[in-house]
Amino acid sequence: MIRPTPEQKRQWENEGYLVFENAIQGDELKRLQSTFDFWAAECKDEWLDKVETGDAAATFYDIPNPLEKDTIFIDIIDHPSYYGALMEFTEDDLILLGPQVRTVAPFPVSYTAWHPDVGKDSPLHIKVQIYVSDVPAKGGEFGFVPGSHKPDSGPYQRPLLQESMPGHKTFPGKAGTAIMFNSCGWHVSMDNATDEPRKSIILIYEKRTSGRIGPTQFASISKYCTTPERRRLFSLPE
Amino acid sequence: MPRIDAHLHVFTKVTPEFPREATPICPAEREEPVEKLLDVMEKHQIDQAVLVQIGGTGIEHHSYLLHCLNRYPDRFLGIGVVPINHPDPTEHMSELSECTGLIGFRLFELGGPRDIFETKDVREIKAYHIWKCAAEKDYVLWLYPRSIDAHLLPYLIQEFPQVRVVLNHLGMTPGKGKFTLDELGRPQIQVSGYNLNMHTTYRLARYENVTVHLSGQYAFSKQDYPYKDLAGMHHNLLNDFGSKRLMWATDFPWILEEPGYGELTSVIEKLLPNLSQRELDDIMGGNAKRILRFPNRNT
Repeated sequence: MIRPTPEQKRQWENEGYLVFENAIQGDELKRLQSTFDFWAAECKDEWLDKVETGDAAATFYDIPNPLEKDTIFIDIIDHPSYYGALMEFTEDDLILLGPQVRTVAPFPVSYTAWHPDVGKDSPLHIKVQIYVSDVPAKGGEFGFVPGSHKPDSGPYQRPLLQESMPGHKTFPGKAGTAIMFNSCGWHVSMDNATDEPRKSIILIYEKRTSGRIGPTQFASISKYCTTPERRRLFSLPE
Repeated sequence: MPRIDAHLHVFTKVTPEFPREATPICPAEREEPVEKLLDVMEKHQIDQAVLVQIGGTGIEHHSYLLHCLNRYPDRFLGIGVVPINHPDPTEHMSELSECTGLIGFRLFELGGPRDIFETKDVREIKAYHIWKCAAEKDYVLWLYPRSIDAHLLPYLIQEFPQVRVVLNHLGMTPGKGKFTLDELGRPQIQVSGYNLNMHTTYRLARYENVTVHLSGQYAFSKQDYPYKDLAGMHHNLLNDFGSKRLMWATDFPWILEEPGYGELTSVIEKLLPNLSQRELDDIMGGNAKRILRFPNRNT
């Protein structure tokens, strides 16, 4: 397990994010990309049916139950590139809440407003966003307001235009880049002015609190969780 | 500041003078005439209103609407309906609007590709010609599109920034198969517990020509009046669109029995209790007067 450096720890505390370039690379990245594309294509019609009936948003879609579809989606949950940092920041008591294997349409179809996911008094809530394909500037890249996770920061207001958010930073990146952020900080997916949908995976974690995830939540992948560490991460009985 | 009900319907029984289509919500023998509306408006100090066509898309189906506009030109403006597949929408819209008080048209469909990721040429969207005509003739477009069409809105709005767009009923986009009538004969729209509009219509706030109705709460709420479960949605719309781009409406006559017209005249104060008097006045009529260009009332 690779623990974060003192500099990374300082940045996490002060700014609320870390970037891991080439977190996933080589053959592993190729397999992630091809698996993502295969299942995204397989699941698209089902999503459009749900859009038609008003049961799904018309701006993005997630591959349902990805952990059950391919083990690559399990292996990125505790990937060594960032797992050590996750463990460090949660005092070695990390749980997975879930993955979002997400395809987001270009602008003007897709639009996300600046938001935090949780309040500042919530248990530490961390997301890791992995770019599956290259995400250029103005290509739906992640945006974050450094420091907005701190208790004394803000108050913040949602601006009408994303680029108007004071003090924000955007994170274009190559495929395989992973961005870890404290999700009580204000963040967004910037508008995607390209013709290509943004493909990314968002992994959602939290510092363990009692009963947050039940033992059946990830029971369907139990056979792939053979180490005590992984079983704890997925809240499975040890 | 006038108080203006920005979306409602009046109709008579089906007669040779006023033909219309009979539907479950508007059976042939039902009538909700303009005189009844004027009575409740008078009682609750509502000055003016937007009459929205119901009962068919044909020219002849608009007879009663045009009659009302002609009879009460300082009380009402009208919204007609144009079918998405009309072979000559320009002619249809011109015939209905010429010197009649009819200021725009309602659309329920936009007619684009179902695949949201398909690259779009806006001219290939079926409703393109209707929007083009609206841009040329300064018609208002009154939109209550299906869920599957919601993603097309920004393309058309970007193409025609001069068109005044009014999103009906909280900017909702009803899903296929989610429309029913309740025991009182009112429309009921089953909506997802998660507010999908956050992803689809709220983003349209960035376009200055888009306005949203605060109306139709009874059809979406899972609670009785004052529909507190929709308060968050109202706050979000206020945050994103601002008090200058929201319009109050009742959707008369569906609300007459429950909760009652009078109750709806105070629904905005109950759902948005922190509005200033000026903001409330804007939503209750000032915005409709300015955006829809209501005439001053004859005294």
